[in-house]
Amino acid sequence: MKKLFPITVTVNGKVYERQVEARLLLSDFLRHDLGLLGTHVGCEHGICGACTILFDGEAVRSCLIFAVQANGHEIRTVESLGTPENLHPLQQSFTDKHALQCGFCTPGFLMTLVPFLEENPTPTEDEIREAIDGNICRCTGYEKIVEAVHDAAEKMSQKK
Amino acid sequence: MKVEGEHLFKAPREVVYEMFNDPDALGAAVPGMQKMIKLDESHYEAVLGIRVGPVSANFSGNLSLTDEVPPESVTLVIEGKGGAGFVKGVGYVKFEDLGDETTLLKYTGEANIGGTLASVGQRMIDSVAKSMFKTVFEKLDKILEERWQKN
Amino acid sequence: MTGKYFGNPIKRLEDKQLLTGNAKYIDDIEVPGQLHAAFLRSDFAHARILKIDVSEALKRPGVVAVYTAEDFGDFWKPGPLQVPPPTAIPGSKFNARTLVPIAKDKIRYSGEVLAVVIAESRYIAEDAFDDIIVDVESLPAVVDLEKAWEDSSVLVHDDLPSNMAALVTQEVGNYEEAKKKADVVVARRMLIEHVAGAAMENRGFLASWDDQNQVMTIWANTQSPLTVRGSVSRALGLAESQVHVITPAIGGGFGPKVMTSLTDDVLLPWISKQLKRPIKWVEDRRENFLATTSERDQVHHCEIALKKDGTILGFKDVFYHNTGAYDSYGMTVPLNTQTHIISNYRVPNFYTQIRMVFTNQMVVTPVRGAGRSEGVFAMERMLDFAAKEMGLSPIEIRRKNLLRADELPLATGITGQDFVKNTLDSGDYLGNFEKCLQAIEYDKFIKETQPKAQKEGKRLGIGVVAFTEGTAVGPYEGCKVTVSTSGKVTMTTGYSSQGQAHYTVFAQIIADQLNVKVEDVKVITGDTNHFAWGAGTFASRGATLVGTAALLASQKVRAKIFSTASKALGVPEDQVELGEGSVSIKGKPDSAIPLGTLAAMANPMRGVIEPGVEPGLEATAYYGPPHGSTGCGAMGVILSIDEETCKPVLEKMVIVDDCGTMINPLIVDGQLQGGISMGIGNTLYERLVYDENGQLLTASFMDYLMPLATDMPKKLEIIHNHAESSLKLNPLGIKGVGEAGAIPPGPAIVQAIEDAFADKGVEILETNLSPSSIYGYLKKVEHK
Repeated sequence: MKKLFPITVTVNGKVYERQVEARLLLSDFLRHDLGLLGTHVGCEHGICGACTILFDGEAVRSCLIFAVQANGHEIRTVESLGTPENLHPLQQSFTDKHALQCGFCTPGFLMTLVPFLEENPTPTEDEIREAIDGNICRCTGYEKIVEAVHDAAEKMSQKK
Repeated sequence: MKVEGEHLFKAPREVVYEMFNDPDALGAAVPGMQKMIKLDESHYEAVLGIRVGPVSANFSGNLSLTDEVPPESVTLVIEGKGGAGFVKGVGYVKFEDLGDETTLLKYTGEANIGGTLASVGQRMIDSVAKSMFKTVFEKLDKILEERWQKN
Repeated sequence: MTGKYFGNPIKRLEDKQLLTGNAKYIDDIEVPGQLHAAFLRSDFAHARILKIDVSEALKRPGVVAVYTAEDFGDFWKPGPLQVPPPTAIPGSKFNARTLVPIAKDKIRYSGEVLAVVIAESRYIAEDAFDDIIVDVESLPAVVDLEKAWEDSSVLVHDDLPSNMAALVTQEVGNYEEAKKKADVVVARRMLIEHVAGAAMENRGFLASWDDQNQVMTIWANTQSPLTVRGSVSRALGLAESQVHVITPAIGGGFGPKVMTSLTDDVLLPWISKQLKRPIKWVEDRRENFLATTSERDQVHHCEIALKKDGTILGFKDVFYHNTGAYDSYGMTVPLNTQTHIISNYRVPNFYTQIRMVFTNQMVVTPVRGAGRSEGVFAMERMLDFAAKEMGLSPIEIRRKNLLRADELPLATGITGQDFVKNTLDSGDYLGNFEKCLQAIEYDKFIKETQPKAQKEGKRLGIGVVAFTEGTAVGPYEGCKVTVSTSGKVTMTTGYSSQGQAHYTVFAQIIADQLNVKVEDVKVITGDTNHFAWGAGTFASRGATLVGTAALLASQKVRAKIFSTASKALGVPEDQVELGEGSVSIKGKPDSAIPLGTLAAMANPMRGVIEPGVEPGLEATAYYGPPHGSTGCGAMGVILSIDEETCKPVLEKMVIVDDCGTMINPLIVDGQLQGGISMGIGNTLYERLVYDENGQLLTASFMDYLMPLATDMPKKLEIIHNHAESSLKLNPLGIKGVGEAGAIPPGPAIVQAIEDAFADKGVEILETNLSPSSIYGYLKKVEHK
């Protein structure tokens, strides 16, 4: 049998202890071992950005990391943002501005944008486009995503 | 994929040619070579680990030497396959005696690559092949230096 | 037609689940006891199978079963023709060689399935690939379309005399006669390169056989669940009622997910039945590139014959169309090309021939644009070449030949993908074009902007083209609308959804008819146990066909509400008022009966209902148009390009579009923007490259470049030129919009690049321009 390694990972504030194979991808671990299905896998080679999560607060691709590398680290996934009843302001702007169609890439965009807006609460259009340049969306042509980010930035900075 | 190039060996043609018939020398010179067994005078069996960008896999296959004209020229026929695809290639190698105990090796060839190696790795294959040839010749130079100096 | 909801930018009802990670896509579905399938695919594009030895794989712990073609016995057979070719075109030839579920004897494209491994996990299933020994005799691959057509070519299908998949000639008028009378004849050969649908979610399939109840439940991210149900029941000899196909949330379609008869939907149900275990397969990205259908890839040989003043006398287009290794999807794509070549302009004489050819490549089926882009590209480019040759501006030549509103409806005489002669129903083609010229400020650009930039050493170019989008073809779609005893409304349809906002737009139509809140209408799509009739999601037909069916069904329910209320309230129907969520006697709000209560009354538990009355506030309706509709529009683009790097930057883009009545302008804009990004990608970034051995060299997003946020135009303006739809084809006046955006970017961008290098006389004869290919064109003219 394959050798298993014990890991302890904090995901969305909850501590999980699991035994995993060395080769298990973090994306598969989150999805299939922990049942956090909001993280989507679009390319398995780190280009499309659909599987983006926060790793110790930084947006990274969970398909390029092994679960064992997450040992002792803190992870946030899309499930940590809002709920259908109580959306995160960025999620609210995404629906207000029609920034999603099939929705498959959306969690990756959200997780890329959350730290971006924390770092840069009043981004220009060019900065927004740069920020999402590592996430592919086949449906929207990005126009309404950019609009949504502007909208969210405005609303979030007013709140502060 | 087409390959072409040359390399100057500091040894007489016979010595260089002989080295190309020695599986130990070749096996030691090719990076990632895990096994190279001489089946008969002109056939070898080999297992080679190749890494091209995101693709890394073992290839097992055969190397045949045909149209041998010692010590002037030889044709190499390579066929290998593995989990990441296949490689088929023909290489035409010429050894030119430059007269001053140096030999100019000239090679041309064509390789046909398929599977994951082609579909995911093709962008890197040219440069990987180039660096592989470079390493092989550097190692052969060293081997030659040792052997030639010993004699 | 505008209602409380219809015509308004209502926010989508489906978003909250998608935004929070709660929506379930195919890979999110887990059935207890499920096993995982992985497909061992061929590295060779063309080869004879000598031996496949799976014995070692079977020994690997965790591997449950391994199948090759031999193991399926008589169950192995070539699949059905998913779309038959039209029989209506005289003299047309079609050689049906349909997809096989798994390669037997011969491999015909790189990526074709050789073995199916079933294991406890996908990781183990893929590990087992290393244990399988595949022995083949490789054959020369058929890759080049024109060479493949020649009699001397190697054959993809040995039992055919050539690689001809189809030969279809259509002619209106007499091109050769027209050519004799022409002052100018211009001929060119153009390439339209191969691109992928590349939905962000790959394909997936889960088959679960319930041996106790003898029912096969299937989850599939298909655009056509009813076709899947039909093919599974046919293949396994089950009644259709024994096959339940459910479409979960689907991460984009764009065409390829309409395809059936592939390995997954044929073999996995069979395996599930054998092993009595659920089997799940989810494609990875490389598999998607290798083996999920893709499109474009045509070579056009065009000729245009004109009068001195630029009037078109005739057009000829003989084009090669790559169908790949099999042709199960018939001729939808090249027929779309034929109808779209001339669909914008007055072309009295038109000769067109499809030479559909088998190659050792993946099968070609529709991808957003679906043949339309190719036809429009061919015509628009030829107009540019003719204008240059005759010293006309590209604008003049189009103005002269574009159809005017008063010339429609117009029967073009060309049979299209719906097997019906194409009729251009309505629209102001010339008006669209003029509006586009204004919006892009064409005159100002030519007189001021471009010369000024030139003085500053910057290259700017402009391109303006016209396009049509054949939409909303038959045969039909349908739906059922039900008012529940809770007062909530449910609509069910066999149509499946991949992000097109069906859950919102159909609800808008129904909510207005039944006077309920839009969020109280629940739309269920693509579940064959809910609604069992329909064709599938393709050809921009959802809003028109399902939308009209929703209107008709809800009108029937509305009539039932009035008749039931009339009895309940004891007044004639004209005294009944339908308020929001309730009925009452006009002027007597106290008499109000909630809609839910009325629904209960329509389905009494005791007593009688009158003969001929169906119980419940429920109705089913179907809608099928006599022929497809045609959306239309124009696109203008201004770009800058650096002479050293040859990287075009899209400064401004304008699209003028007439998609008929809009149910929800927010959704329409989203469709156009998404389509445009795909058109931009197809023109400047994306390309499936096969080498001469049939190896796909671009099977990852590292090599297949998708358009990104920074690649979009700096300014993108959308103009809707359909305030009052002139379309009389259907009651809502909807045409369709799904593919419009993807059609015109190609010819518009290429025209603008040529314009930017007008002084050098660059002439571009292909789509899919990378900076290095543009650089190549520059070098070519410099060496002249």
